[in-house]
Amino acid sequence: MTTLPQSAEVIVVGGGIVGLSVALALAEAGAKPLLLEAKSFGGAVTGGSLAAIGTHMHGLAEYGVMAHACDLWRAFAERTGNPFEHTAQGQVGFILDAEGMESGEGWVAEERALGAPCRMLTPAGLAEVEPRLTGPVLGATFAPDTATVNPFLAARTVLAEARAAGAVALDHAPVAGLLVEAGRIAGVCMADGAEIRAGQVVLASGPWSQEISVSAGVCLPLVPRQAQCLAALRQPPGTIRRIVSAVESRGGVASGYTQIQQAGSGQILFNTVVDFIETPPEAKDTVREVPSGFVLTSIDTLATLFPSLAEIPLLRSWVRFEAVSPDARFLAGAVGPEGLWVCAGDNGSGYCRSLMLGRFLAGEIIGAALLPGALQADARALYAPQRFTQVAA
Amino acid sequence: MSAAHLSCDVAVVGAGPAGLAAARAAAEAGARVVCLDAFATPGGQYAMQPTQAESPFAATAPVALGRAAARAAGEAGAQILCGAEVFWGACVPGGFCLSVNHAGRALAVEAKALVVAAGAMERPLPFPGWTLPGVIGAGAAQRLLKTGTGALPLPGKTVLAGSGPFLLAVAQSFAKAGQRLDHFVEMQRPLPADVAKVFARHPGKLAEAARLGLDLRRSGAARHVGHMVTRALGTDRLEAVEIAPLSASGQPVMGRAREIDGVGTLAIGYGFQPVIDLTTALDAAHDFHAALGGWHCRADADGRTTVAGLWAAGETLGIGGAVPAQLSGRIAGAGAARTLGFSAPDVTGATQALGNARAFASALAQLYPPPQGLPVALPEDELICRCEDVTAGDIATAIAEGAHESFAVKTWTRAGMGPCQGRICGAGIAAALAQAGVPADKASYNRAHLPLRPVPLPLVRAAMQAQTEMETRP
Ligand SMILES: Cc1cc2nc3c(=O)[nH]c(=O)nc-3n(C[C@H](O)[C@H](O)[C@H](O)COP(=O)(O)OP(=O)(O)OC[C@H]3O[C@@H](n4cnc5c(N)ncnc54)[C@H](O)[C@@H]3O)c2cc1C
Ligand SMILES: Cc1cc2nc3c(=O)[nH]c(=O)nc-3n(C[C@H](O)[C@H](O)[C@H](O)COP(=O)(O)OP(=O)(O)OC[C@H]3O[C@@H](n4cnc5c(N)ncnc54)[C@H](O)[C@@H]3O)c2cc1C
Repeated sequence: MTTLPQSAEVIVVGGGIVGLSVALALAEAGAKPLLLEAKSFGGAVTGGSLAAIGTHMHGLAEYGVMAHACDLWRAFAERTGNPFEHTAQGQVGFILDAEGMESGEGWVAEERALGAPCRMLTPAGLAEVEPRLTGPVLGATFAPDTATVNPFLAARTVLAEARAAGAVALDHAPVAGLLVEAGRIAGVCMADGAEIRAGQVVLASGPWSQEISVSAGVCLPLVPRQAQCLAALRQPPGTIRRIVSAVESRGGVASGYTQIQQAGSGQILFNTVVDFIETPPEAKDTVREVPSGFVLTSIDTLATLFPSLAEIPLLRSWVRFEAVSPDARFLAGAVGPEGLWVCAGDNGSGYCRSLMLGRFLAGEIIGAALLPGALQADARALYAPQRFTQVAA
Repeated sequence: MSAAHLSCDVAVVGAGPAGLAAARAAAEAGARVVCLDAFATPGGQYAMQPTQAESPFAATAPVALGRAAARAAGEAGAQILCGAEVFWGACVPGGFCLSVNHAGRALAVEAKALVVAAGAMERPLPFPGWTLPGVIGAGAAQRLLKTGTGALPLPGKTVLAGSGPFLLAVAQSFAKAGQRLDHFVEMQRPLPADVAKVFARHPGKLAEAARLGLDLRRSGAARHVGHMVTRALGTDRLEAVEIAPLSASGQPVMGRAREIDGVGTLAIGYGFQPVIDLTTALDAAHDFHAALGGWHCRADADGRTTVAGLWAAGETLGIGGAVPAQLSGRIAGAGAARTLGFSAPDVTGATQALGNARAFASALAQLYPPPQGLPVALPEDELICRCEDVTAGDIATAIAEGAHESFAVKTWTRAGMGPCQGRICGAGIAAALAQAGVPADKASYNRAHLPLRPVPLPLVRAAMQAQTEMETRP
């Protein structure tokens, strides 16, 4: 669309919410980032997101940075006049059995100890908080501060703000590889053969980050994982009031996953994954359709929890690809040759973390702490890509 | 609810001229054929069957053709199911699984080969006032005339407008129905020499063309060629229509615009677009050609798409009318059966005739090139997507900020995310992108996903249960 510049201070590869957030933070810090997006901004997993913003059931190690991540979204909404529907509707974690009760109580106790406003709900309490959830639940966790944003509009707003702060962002500009000279990053090579020189390059390309990094001799431990969602026809406002999710079992065992919410448009968005779906690496380059088994479990879960919605019409479905790391945490920081950075490995909840990660990484690049207090150091410890190279050594 | 099951060699989606010809050819070759159509009777658009016995259309040639084609397919052994909306198709081991809403019940059709003959749909382009009640598609007007008692429900003058040879067919239906048509507004003004050239090459078409011309005259409509509708006016509903002549460069000359008042119905159409939801969902390759109605499914001379076992016929392959539709249906039906090992009849004759029929269609399309951009500049607040309330201004802003393909316009603005899934606003969005200088191959198309049309969850569940069984059985 636009002619490519020949050089830039910092190049950000990938225009999903993470790359956009990195570009925003860099631009606000005075660096002049050039963001290159292979296709359309926010068109990959970012645009397929349910975009819940909260700390509940995200693990205790990240609690501090996550709480700040949520604050950043709240402040961003206030500053921009909230054109992206940031709404703190709260999150309900439904509990179907004794094991779930134990997990839920565990999460709530530990998060409360860290200052979170979450609590347990009895079935009667739940009936007030989520009246249409009349399925056979024993109780629920409740995190009143969890919010959602409209994923498309939020990405658009971050893009607009980044540009206003001096970032240049180009769509349909695929990067083919990295230029390395004398052991340090020298820029990127575009798919059409053009070269753009830059002293710093950030890979914020979701599950594609790994292939791009190979051209600099780096192997990132990231694999794509298929994620998908269903949308049912618009229902009256308030049909589902909160984000309704399964209580995750603790201890990292993949135990199935459910998220149900009503979008600002009124559509009911719902997904239940029981078995993770095998995702060959090349799958992320194709458009896939929702697996039939996923459709069955998602409809069954919705109908069990919300019997009054059991016969509403299905409108739409979509499939996207997340980037999964071995310990389910982001890789954010320096990696490989000098001047190369990564910010990927969303593990299915990168929307929430994106503004925080953008500021963290921009701080690392310009050599200043952009997260308050000890959080910059905490984030460095949590997300350091070296944690894997060290294990290997 | 569990889904009813049908198993066959060849499933055909669409019972228009193309689908019925495909079903017949495959059945004649000995294949077990199931032909599915969402409408209540077979025939498709061209050969749509009237619902009333006293309809003035009951004895017309297209209606007779539809009846005959359905009878022939049935006699050859094809099972034709109407009121059967295919809402999903998936590749399963050994073929395809179609998920069908059959009059409110779930039906799963398993087929070794699939012929998609899903036809065409209207290509509504937005213009100021296009959402006023009383403004309808030219195709919808045609359907009201053909299926009912032949009467349009609204009082007031009737204006038929747009571009393309199809407008003449609609005018003819007005004449046939004895309905008053007050004004006929056609954008193009083909040079008589160019018209003569087309018919010199296809003399067999002359009689039909002359009849269309005569019927237009018989309708009594005032003709405004080289004109377009620039605005529909009214407060709660349509009251008047503004038309203007076009300059040599195709722009309306607003200084010479004039109003037609007392209008009850404006039927307007800028041609048709191929129905490609099922073929895009199955990941077949598609190509763009303005004269073929835009994006259409790619197929070789036999109707074979880029997906193994998937065939396409009729206007899914591009707009061309009922004759090429019928021929391409016969070819694809025979090809699908032959590939499964049945001895299908030789279709060389049909292939030659198809070449000729397509040449005529494309010559005609060149005389009446459908506009690609927006026909008239839109005010910022004009709605383009009615389901999600997205305005022309919203879309222009999104394109300016970096939404440079149909998919991005959709995700950035929600245009096309409502119940119609872009069927009504898709052409307008494509036109807005074209207007902004995005070439069609870059603008691309939005691929369909489960479900092709909104379907109650219990039906989806039953059909997906059946699909799972086909996918996992040993
Ligand atoms: C159904 C669903 C529900 C979800 N719910 C939540 C939730 O509730 N909360 C939450 O926090 N998260 C949620 N997520 C996850 C969240 O959407 C992602 O974690 C987040 O969007 C990741 O953003 P990203 O920028 O890393 O990835 P992406 O959006 O994938 O961005 C990467 C970009 O890089 C581009 N790219 C790739 N290769 C190249 C190249 N060679 N050159 C240039 N560009 C390139 C891609 O085109 C893409 O746009 C959900 C996801 C799904 C699918
Ligand atoms: C509104 C309209 C009116 C038209 N009127 C005329 C006319 O009067 N004269 C003329 O010459 N041409 C007319 N045309 C052009 C017409 O499309 C062709 O001349 C001819 O009908 C093409 O034949 P076909 O078999 O390719 O498609 P069609 O005749 O359109 O048949 C396609 C069939 O597929 C069915 N179908 C599509 N998708 C599904 C699905 N998912 N599940 C089940 N069924 C499905 C449809 O219900 C339809 O019956 C009209 C087109 C339109 C859109």
